[in-house]
Amino acid sequence: MKYSVLFIASILIVAVFIAGCTQQPATQQPSTTQGVIKVGVIASLTGPASNVGTNMWQSAQVAADKINSEGGVTLKDGSKAQIRLIVGDDESTQQGGQKAATKLITDDKVDILVGGYSSAVTSAYEQTIAEYRVPYIVTGASSPIITHRTDIDTSYIFHHCPTTDTYGQYTTMFIDQVVRSAVNKKLGAPADRPFRLAMLYQDTAFGKGVQSAVNNTIMKDKLNIQLVSQQSFRMGESDFRTPLTAIKAANPDAVYIAAFPNEGAPIITQARRDIGLNTIFLNVENNDNAQFYKDLGQYGEGAIIESRFSPYTAPAGTVADAQNAFKQSYFTKFGAYPDMMGASTYEGIFIASKATEKAGTTDKAAVRQALVSLQMPQVIEAMKDQTCSFSSDFRESTFDLWMEQLSYNATIGETRPAIVWPDNLKTTDFVLPSWYVAGSSS
Amino acid sequence: MDNFGVFLQIIFWGLYAGCIYILLATGLNLIFGVMKIVNFAHGEFLMIGAYITATIFFISGINPYLIILLSMLALIGIGAVVERFCFRPILGTGKLNEIFLSIGLIYIFQNGAAIIWTDEWQSVKSPYDGISLPFGSLSIPLDYILIMFFTAAIICGLYLFLKKTTIGMQMRATSQNRKGAMLVGIDVERIDVISFGLGCALAAAAGTLWIVSGQIFNPYMGSIPAIKAFAIIILGGLGSIPGAIIGGLLMGLAENGAAFLLGGIWKDAISFVILIIVLVVRPTGLFGEKGD
Repeated sequence: MKYSVLFIASILIVAVFIAGCTQQPATQQPSTTQGVIKVGVIASLTGPASNVGTNMWQSAQVAADKINSEGGVTLKDGSKAQIRLIVGDDESTQQGGQKAATKLITDDKVDILVGGYSSAVTSAYEQTIAEYRVPYIVTGASSPIITHRTDIDTSYIFHHCPTTDTYGQYTTMFIDQVVRSAVNKKLGAPADRPFRLAMLYQDTAFGKGVQSAVNNTIMKDKLNIQLVSQQSFRMGESDFRTPLTAIKAANPDAVYIAAFPNEGAPIITQARRDIGLNTIFLNVENNDNAQFYKDLGQYGEGAIIESRFSPYTAPAGTVADAQNAFKQSYFTKFGAYPDMMGASTYEGIFIASKATEKAGTTDKAAVRQALVSLQMPQVIEAMKDQTCSFSSDFRESTFDLWMEQLSYNATIGETRPAIVWPDNLKTTDFVLPSWYVAGSSS
Repeated sequence: MDNFGVFLQIIFWGLYAGCIYILLATGLNLIFGVMKIVNFAHGEFLMIGAYITATIFFISGINPYLIILLSMLALIGIGAVVERFCFRPILGTGKLNEIFLSIGLIYIFQNGAAIIWTDEWQSVKSPYDGISLPFGSLSIPLDYILIMFFTAAIICGLYLFLKKTTIGMQMRATSQNRKGAMLVGIDVERIDVISFGLGCALAAAAGTLWIVSGQIFNPYMGSIPAIKAFAIIILGGLGSIPGAIIGGLLMGLAENGAAFLLGGIWKDAISFVILIIVLVVRPTGLFGEKGD
């Protein structure tokens, strides 16, 4: 009896040991054994950011179609693997983002992740990314905290979109170099007249990041720009009349808005139509979106968007053809035009594909290492040195940004952009609209 | 603009916001007063009303202010169906059932609207877009004056309906004492349907006026206004129509005043600060009575 018990126990222990030995590699087995690379796309398919999120998801599909139609990804053993996309809807909320990331990693067992829009939402599930060590190419959330934070390990997270620091700085430089002189010329004012800038920003990591970047750029570069009013609003707000009234009372020369497209269009509309604030509105790049142009109508006339991809224009130079080809493929598949977040997500899929090819496997550590040392030719957006790569410190891509000015086209009832800065990319010059009213210090 | 002009402008925006809140909260209070049910999905009726108006406007090009009536009639029908098939079966079975039912309805209505109309942001352009009237040192867009006029007209109409018509009196009787109303021969189930339908119609009016003011909208637009409507009816007193009107105006003014003086992030918080203060000082709300 005693020996029987010992025998059964030994069998059980051996069985558990064998099971453990056989199961362990199974969980780490790359999915490429089936010739498929599973790419999880985290996007806001529902909730306030659904317009941008849908664009990101559809752009990812266009990229996967292109890669697969060209034979897929070549691995170390010479075999070809197809890209298979799996979407996770973050519902435009932190809880939704957490659910989407967890499901993609634990249930769908994706090899790599791409996407993420709202910085507040994305940062909420970064802990999960850190815990499971899945390479994640963030293509929408622009707060620098995404890869700068130190409370968790962000080494598997790569940032493929300009941060709020970068575009806040670019826009402030544009104001100082271009808008200031145009306003002074209109007023007949001396060159040393302080430029009166107001800010209206979303009260999130994204909005505060832009606000902080503007303040820092003015201080660091000792710019003659005076911030006459800084108003905030909560994410998803739709009534901006009161902060705009406060801004108008401060007599600004221009207003810099850090908002999502569903906020930016009503801000400008309410400012011009209801408040009579006839000034230049500068917008963050995520507003370069077909819906934004549609919602703005004639009120967008003269507004500025800092950008790197537009549904309706392309810079002079080499990337124009690539951008137009992407827009055409997207239009053929979905009957609409992609936006900027779609463009960087499209590139994110190509980067994921290239890194996997470089690693030769879907092993997550190997893919991460491939991303760290990635040097790939720019895809559709203008990159620094025409190369997609990540910085060694915070794993951030570096883009060439530009400024667009909108002009109203009465035939279509919408505005259309033209690039006005910098000189090497511009297609026309910045002009102050005839109805523009400059601020005054009185 | 001088300081007094800015002050007047902020008051004006507060009154405009208050108009939307008044319509939404009055409808909610009408339903609560008669049926004593908690319906967190009330904001979704605002959303459906907005979409019905927008759809008719996009198809026909009819002046959206004239479509209000059609939208309200449609919501009376939708509200009657929801009351009959959703709330009536669980009436009196406990607040928890009502809460979970209404949360379920939120998802159903939001996703249903997203399937029918997509969840893209949309906007309606008022025929009076760009027309402003001088008002002292201010220039007020005509749309906001029309919104205030329509709100006042709808509330006056509701007042007359409740005071002068037989059904209105039966609704008030049911609201005051449901069992008593049954004993004197009032068909309270019929009154429930009418009250629910009317409450939804007021939400539809709020939704229509919301979108003609140029605000963009999508299927999720009703969630936050619904929470605020609940705060307003608690503030004004559960079941009290004057309480909903005063509470709505107070909320609109407080939100815009706080956004101006303290910053935009205080806009939502201030309403609940006022609510807490009122409840501590007067637990029944401003116009509520013991037992409500």
